[in-house]
Amino acid sequence: MANNRWGYPDLGFGIGLRTVHFEHILQNNPKIDWFEVLSENYMDTGGKPLYVAEQVAERYPVVAHGVSLSVGSKDPINFDYLRKLKDLCKRLNARWVSDHLCWCGVTGMNTHDLLPMPYTTEALKHTIERVRAIQDFLERPIALENASTYLEFSVSTWPESEFIAALAEEANCGILLDVNNVYVSSYNHGFDPKQYIDRIPKDRVVQMHLAGHTNKGTHILDTHSDYVIDAVWDLYRYTYQRLGGVSTLLEWDANIPTFDVVHGEALKARRFREQEDARKEAPELEEVPAYGD
Amino acid sequence: MATNPGLEQIQRWMQACIQYQGGYEEALTSEAAQAAIPAAEARNVVLPSKTLTPMERLDIYRDMYLLRMEEALSIDFPSLKHFLGDDEFMKLVARYTAAHPSRSYTFNRFGDHLVDYIASLDDLPKKDFCHALARLEFALTTVFDASETPALSPEAVRAVPQDAWETARLKPIGPFELQAFDYPVSSYIGAVDEENPFPRVGKKKTWVVCYRRNFHVHRMNLEQPAYELLRALASGQTVGESIVSVLTQKWRPAVKQSLLFDWFRDWMSEGLFQAVELAEAR
Repeated sequence: MANNRWGYPDLGFGIGLRTVHFEHILQNNPKIDWFEVLSENYMDTGGKPLYVAEQVAERYPVVAHGVSLSVGSKDPINFDYLRKLKDLCKRLNARWVSDHLCWCGVTGMNTHDLLPMPYTTEALKHTIERVRAIQDFLERPIALENASTYLEFSVSTWPESEFIAALAEEANCGILLDVNNVYVSSYNHGFDPKQYIDRIPKDRVVQMHLAGHTNKGTHILDTHSDYVIDAVWDLYRYTYQRLGGVSTLLEWDANIPTFDVVHGEALKARRFREQEDARKEAPELEEVPAYGD
Repeated sequence: MATNPGLEQIQRWMQACIQYQGGYEEALTSEAAQAAIPAAEARNVVLPSKTLTPMERLDIYRDMYLLRMEEALSIDFPSLKHFLGDDEFMKLVARYTAAHPSRSYTFNRFGDHLVDYIASLDDLPKKDFCHALARLEFALTTVFDASETPALSPEAVRAVPQDAWETARLKPIGPFELQAFDYPVSSYIGAVDEENPFPRVGKKKTWVVCYRRNFHVHRMNLEQPAYELLRALASGQTVGESIVSVLTQKWRPAVKQSLLFDWFRDWMSEGLFQAVELAEAR
């Protein structure tokens, strides 16, 4: 059952489609709920990656996730990019399309990073206008992910969670809530991750991300290179309590283990949800007075 | 400049700092950064955390920038990296990135200028070999990403009347790159990829066709006459013209007719052509 306003279904528990797993997936048709494809990896190639993505899209639900939309940039919108993204989504029958609340570059350049936004009213208005234009062109809503960030700007006047909630409401777009990123940014900036989750409008969340990270002591890097840590699982459980069942994806992009290990990590999310459901369904026991009371 | 910089100023400033190769003090005072936010005010743009100063936080992004560029180029040019070694390759990446920062939404285009950039350098160790190696690796990435075209089927080949071949033209598949080199760079890539013995990197004329078959990228080393024949065919000459152009050259040793048949058989079985165009059909 869908919790979001667009009726996007809860696809279950998926993983990112990665090159090292291509042969395993094509040969074994593993039982998995869905895949997320990194849009830019399939937009400018007619070779094997696109062939595999098309094969996968015939067998599984696919969602297109990008890293170069640069939605917060002051540069003009790149409609050549959007045209190719639109074509790809059609080709793969992408259930929805997502990217990040960030900017990647200005003056025509691309740093290929998810750079942090200053959370100001000016930036909010600018991003709302761009999201509206992008959605008009794509003829569908997009979902924006909260990126992991490593610095904050002194000019910011909005907490990130309120900024992204306001953006989603005003631009009428979805939210891809990355639970690990909430944790990473909360560690780096010293905010309460649960309070962040509380501020996210439930009916805007179409997908969640989970991933491992690297704790450097002074800060955390969002490396997608390891298992999800317990604190992030706890936050996922809390998010599930607040938002209900939302399509959940496990990201693993560096030191990628076998398909089964990555998928097994994704399936832990199902267990957390089942445990939480069981806890809610268990009859509440009447408190029995202790002997002698 | 206003005390509270706007979105555009912040983005231009941060990008300038990230792309500047050097210490953060120099980054803040660089021309590009100061054009957006003067250095005196720049120290207040980023907040400190409990554990990091503003500049240490900015350095996280600065440090990752070149590493990401290096990773992208090492995927497309792994043998060049192997030849140069990690440090020298990183130096090349840093210089190349400064000269040709990425301007595309995809990393697939980032290495487009590397071959020409290497040619322009005066101080790269064994530059001519590096240039040839980069040229071959770029051809391989081009073949990897080219649009798929179906190869000519054996039935289609058999359907061509015997007397039509002389005036027929063979059209190469999309993922097809023909290259000539002054160094044994294909053997070098073979040594890196397939753990073959490393060749001497001294001058030696070599010829290679790169192509894709069943979505796998291949290299086929060629003799010079075979390269010339394939080049003539790929340029649109008829089969007859192409063969004559090869046979009329004074090769040592001479090209035997049986060798021509062997080449055509190999090329057809490897699926190097997508169509045969008959003279009447043109």
